[in-house]
Amino acid sequence: MSWSRKHTLIAGLALMALTNAVALVGVAWNRSAEEAKLRLSERELHAPYRWYGNRENSGLALNIAWRVLSEPADATALYGWSYGVTGGAPSWLDEAKMRELGFDTSTAGDAQRGRVRYEKQLPREVLLVLELEGQTYRRLLELAAQYVAREEAKLASSPADKNYEARVKNAREALERETSRNSRLFVVDAGLDAAALRAKYPDRARYAIVRGQVRPAITDAKSARLGGYVTDLAVESINVPLAFREALAGAAASSPYDERSRSRFEATVAFGRRLEPWIAEASRK
Amino acid sequence: MNAVSRSEAQRRADEIRTFQGELDRLEREGVLALSEEQRRAVAEHHGELLAQYARTFDIDRDAQAKQLSLGMRIASFLGALALAASVFFLFYQFWGLFPTAAQVGILLVAVFGAFVATHVIQGRDPTGYFTMLAAMVAFACFVLNIAMLGQIFNITPSDKALLPWAAFALLLAYACDLRLLQAAGILCLVAFLSARTGTWSGMYWLYFGERPENFFPAAVALFVVPQFIDHRRFHGFAAIYRIFGLLTLFLPMLVLANWGEISYLDFDRKLIQGFYQVLGFAGSAAAVWLGAKRHWPDTVNTGLTFFVIFLYTKFYDWWWEIMPKYLFFLVIGLTAVLLLVVFKRLRTALKPGEGA
Repeated sequence: MSWSRKHTLIAGLALMALTNAVALVGVAWNRSAEEAKLRLSERELHAPYRWYGNRENSGLALNIAWRVLSEPADATALYGWSYGVTGGAPSWLDEAKMRELGFDTSTAGDAQRGRVRYEKQLPREVLLVLELEGQTYRRLLELAAQYVAREEAKLASSPADKNYEARVKNAREALERETSRNSRLFVVDAGLDAAALRAKYPDRARYAIVRGQVRPAITDAKSARLGGYVTDLAVESINVPLAFREALAGAAASSPYDERSRSRFEATVAFGRRLEPWIAEASRK
Repeated sequence: MNAVSRSEAQRRADEIRTFQGELDRLEREGVLALSEEQRRAVAEHHGELLAQYARTFDIDRDAQAKQLSLGMRIASFLGALALAASVFFLFYQFWGLFPTAAQVGILLVAVFGAFVATHVIQGRDPTGYFTMLAAMVAFACFVLNIAMLGQIFNITPSDKALLPWAAFALLLAYACDLRLLQAAGILCLVAFLSARTGTWSGMYWLYFGERPENFFPAAVALFVVPQFIDHRRFHGFAAIYRIFGLLTLFLPMLVLANWGEISYLDFDRKLIQGFYQVLGFAGSAAAVWLGAKRHWPDTVNTGLTFFVIFLYTKFYDWWWEIMPKYLFFLVIGLTAVLLLVVFKRLRTALKPGEGA
């Protein structure tokens, strides 16, 4: 049998239909159950910066602003928190956890070559636990308040020192940002078994399990402590359907960081069977 | 011979033209003299063939038409790329104004419509230029279709999307005799195979480019495809497979020959670089030898290009800093002369007709 134009037509149509069917059935399967449901606000969902490469894009996808907390924290770390930097090396992502996630920690040690070998391993896909306004966020508020108190005490001991005055001002601003503007969504754990993680974090309105990537890192150069760096979530941004565009329109206009608090909204983000998110509800505040 | 593709018909027409020229010369020089009857029979046969090819495939019947065809091919190539880009930007410009169901509907109508349109145009376009435009738009629509479904429904990015893209591009390439789409399909296939190779080590698929060795299995697979699948009906397809196979092999080798630290190999960086430098020289020399033996000019040229690149990067590493520039370029020039001598000998050593 020779291949004819009719065969090409049938094969092409079948390929397109099958590919679309696989994608759409996967979406339906994901959304057939809600694994978690978080009520996020403009603090956790940021509009992308408009630049020449995407200015003609009429669609809107909001970036998930997630963070990690690394302790012991110092003033430099506080600067990082104050601007809600995404990604980082959390304290809980230690050698044992990295081993549990499938990384080879046996070759590392004090030797330089071992460290290089450890850090040379490429990122792996793991399951990450996102916590909304939980213990980690409260701990961060505590640390920020302690930092303000420390700076105020230093200023009290040398009231004429302009440097201390500026540091107190910065510390208070950082605390204010943490209290009212920065994201409250933290990556607090990682694993390979979704059921085990859910058993450990049963509150589905506070904890969502998502896919993401972790890369090995020497988190403390002096002690050569082995750890990891949470680099990305598999789905970093959530598409805003037309039905919610009006409610979330403010987010689109609020690109510069300091204007974000001007457009306030609340969006319920659901995570389905495949841990993929979607916006279930949205309203202006 | 019944030609089944435009390129095949064009090749036969070119052979006929060459034959007629040589026959005229032989007759003028008194080497050969056909009878009037024989001459008429040959002319009639060739005339019928050329007329049939012109009707079916709109081939170039003379050198002037061939020159114009080249311009049309270039216009068609640029137009195809521009139209594909236009489809992307058109959708991006307006997709946010529609509800989700309409977005999906538009994507489906666009991809199915573009594919059916390609089929219809192919049936009415003997030149193939408009078919190329339509096929590129259909491929762009399909890529957009799957990528946008991912974006609309926040689907986790997956390397599996590369497989239907590759299949679709290759289907259009073979059906419409389009090497541009063959190249697009091959690139999707290389990315898929390399990502799969990378995930064997446990890494997340998107990082496959950080270990150049991930490309090697794809390179081997591409190079051997024409050995197992007969491509005589598809002019130039086998060469494209071989060229992409060699590019997929030698480019990662070139990277590893200069940045050994990104290799899978757990040795000293210098040792890894040295290993890939040797492998690069040996591999490119072997490609030249194999290409010359099998009469694959594409393989010879690609192998030779990489041999020279490997050689000159080494020269640069060794001598750029320590040699006066006149001496450095003199060495480069003398090396070129040496290569010419070697290839002249190689050409003489290979008897005509040797190889497959």
